[in-house]
Amino acid sequence: MSSTFHASRRGLIGGAAAMAGLGLLDHLPGSGARAQGARSGTVKVAVLGLDTADPHRHTGSIAVQQVYVETLTSIADDGTVKPFLATSWEVSPDGRRYVFTIREGVRFHNGRVMTAEDVRANAVRVRDQVRGGWLSAPMKLVEKLEAPDARTFVMTMQEPYGPLLNLLSELWIVAPESEGWAQTIRTPIGTGPFRFGRWTPNVSFHAPAFEQYWQSGLPRAEAVEFSLRDDSDLSLPLRAGDLHIARIGYDQLAAVKADPNLEVQFMKDTTWWFWSFNNRAPRKPFDDLRVRRAVALMLDKTAFMRFVAGDAGVVTNQMAAPGQFFWDKAMHDAYAHARPNEARARALLAEAGVDPARTPCRIVSWQSTYPEIAVQAMRQLGFQVEHLALDDIGAQRRLGQYDWDLAPFASGPRADIFLRFIRLMSDGPNVGLWGGTRDAEFDALVKQAVAAVDLGERRRFYLAAWQRAIDNYYTVVIGHAPEPIANRRAVTGYSPGFTWGQHRVDGGLAHASLGVRS
Amino acid sequence: MSASVAGRLGAAPGSAGFRVGIVILAVAVLVAVLGPSLVPHDPLAQALAARNAPPDAVHWLGRDHLGRDIAARLAAGTRISLLVALGATLLSVVLGAGLGLVAEATGRWASFAVFGAFDMVRALPSILLALTLMVALGVGTAPLVLALGIAFAPHMAMVARAAWRRETASGYVAAARVMGAAKLATLGRHILPNIAGALVTQAAIVVPRAITTESVLSFFGLGLAPETPSWGRMISGAARFAESAPHAVLAPVAALCVVTLGFALVGDRLRLALDPLRERGR
Repeated sequence: MSSTFHASRRGLIGGAAAMAGLGLLDHLPGSGARAQGARSGTVKVAVLGLDTADPHRHTGSIAVQQVYVETLTSIADDGTVKPFLATSWEVSPDGRRYVFTIREGVRFHNGRVMTAEDVRANAVRVRDQVRGGWLSAPMKLVEKLEAPDARTFVMTMQEPYGPLLNLLSELWIVAPESEGWAQTIRTPIGTGPFRFGRWTPNVSFHAPAFEQYWQSGLPRAEAVEFSLRDDSDLSLPLRAGDLHIARIGYDQLAAVKADPNLEVQFMKDTTWWFWSFNNRAPRKPFDDLRVRRAVALMLDKTAFMRFVAGDAGVVTNQMAAPGQFFWDKAMHDAYAHARPNEARARALLAEAGVDPARTPCRIVSWQSTYPEIAVQAMRQLGFQVEHLALDDIGAQRRLGQYDWDLAPFASGPRADIFLRFIRLMSDGPNVGLWGGTRDAEFDALVKQAVAAVDLGERRRFYLAAWQRAIDNYYTVVIGHAPEPIANRRAVTGYSPGFTWGQHRVDGGLAHASLGVRS
Repeated sequence: MSASVAGRLGAAPGSAGFRVGIVILAVAVLVAVLGPSLVPHDPLAQALAARNAPPDAVHWLGRDHLGRDIAARLAAGTRISLLVALGATLLSVVLGAGLGLVAEATGRWASFAVFGAFDMVRALPSILLALTLMVALGVGTAPLVLALGIAFAPHMAMVARAAWRRETASGYVAAARVMGAAKLATLGRHILPNIAGALVTQAAIVVPRAITTESVLSFFGLGLAPETPSWGRMISGAARFAESAPHAVLAPVAALCVVTLGFALVGDRLRLALDPLRERGR
């Protein structure tokens, strides 16, 4: 299977005319480069943080590092996987052998041309040195890593691994001569459109343009500068002109939309909100399915999604958003708790012999506003609620103690649906948010999905696993919404992608510049 | 309060300010005591469809970002905020001024040890110290009062020591000692009445600081739970909607300002009234 692309001439002309009419051409990658030709300005951005200079050892925050390191594959705007540092690939019929053709003329920031051996060295480093993280599961299954010539890289797996191409969009290729390669990389030498510049942890990161970048005309800006401060309301520096691009909350959406200097775009994949039960060491009576059902019935999911995301929120009972390949309409239509039913919830508690007035319920959450809705719903049902609202690290630590009952949380876009399923697996990473589920049958179904070569078969296994999660009330999904990203209108060429990554095959910061619109 | 002090409070110039302060604090205490019964709404009940709704005939101060009645939360919050602030202030006076003065009165080594400890504590900002204590003590109202009381105690101790040193240089202290009065007796009978004014003034400063520090601790998840209606919580929750729903943040801010003013007015008059020098017309 090699990747090929087809586009009719008529379709392209018609599409371009329509987009010009809508004024959307400014957002097309490369449009600014054609118009201006020269780099201009430093684009100031605030999206997520940068937790390490070593791209292979990140703890989940990938938004920043993508501007200086790249990958063999890339997740495009529509969520499909596309060639990036690889120009194509072939997968053997048994789904075990992946042969990648490496792009020619790609240079590292030190000027050296990247080869297949460099790719192999990075894969070996991740396999042998990195513990935890998204890639640990597939890397355990690697049988052979080979670079038979300068432009061919071969990965042979012990068994078929369906999400591999998507997950390779997070295997960043760094020059092995980078400082700290043997332990922790301190100054990564990548191939990205911007170089690793000045990094002040939790404050800022400055990345100047790479003059020998392999995509002609890119990057369009002289540099990008990320604010890494943990500001709760980024709309204020954005409106003041201190930032050009920033993630914003739905709370600020109205004020941002009212500002003529700003425009709002949305990420292509969704964030999803859910209530998890403590599945690893459930305390009574929350180990009783009737009680879990009562809790699920107490939440007004429509009101909740309207609260967190306004009109952009949708209610569903799955990890995939409506319309996505791994979302199932029949499962959605059969959702038993789409509407709240307090009377039924109270009846279920009575049936289970639970007196909520005498029952403590400990809720762990982040310090966001939306968990307060969950807290009030439980209070309304009569439980003696103890709410622990903690910062990210505090919440993770507390969740890992499994001395709680309910955890209302949210999770952002991912490069592959597997990265959502793995969080409910017994040996998955950061499983606390989903209650530390340990279900051998669920694990087996996900593993079968991963090993399925046929996409339809993979979907069937995933849905069977998810049905099990629904039946056991491991977590109660509330709904999905895309995250809004706002930019000043002076920024041209920028659009958010499928994930938080700020550089990808069909857009991102390499295409952004500070131009003046007519 | 002795009859002479009460008389001086009423007769002193500017006592109208004192009366205003007393009225403010009396109203605050009344609201704190009667609390929820004053407003016919549940301070925790949410109406997500009516987020940040402006004031109307039913919801006198409007609704907050979760559709909760602001007046009901303000009334319920008065009790919590005053309880935390007054409890913490009282504790800081007892711990800081009490320990500090006794150490000063006992002797050089006791003073060195106690104020050495206070200096070490003062090296940390109050908020950081309170955060550390809350981590150790756990969440809840009592741990919060204890943490804030300990955090503000060094400031109270420093004020007490400065006042002590000023007074011990006075002739009346020397006279008391010449007449054979014990150190602690001199402290209790002669010095304490003369430095009470300074301590009251410092206490009036600590009360509003305790209210705002509570909100910071609660924000870090170490104070009160987010949904608990305290003024600090109300301010931190509504601040991000200050542009679109100013009423939500103005109500608790106004309450905090007015009560702070009340404490300042009363504290100022108390300081003057407690000053024995004024009694002698000096």
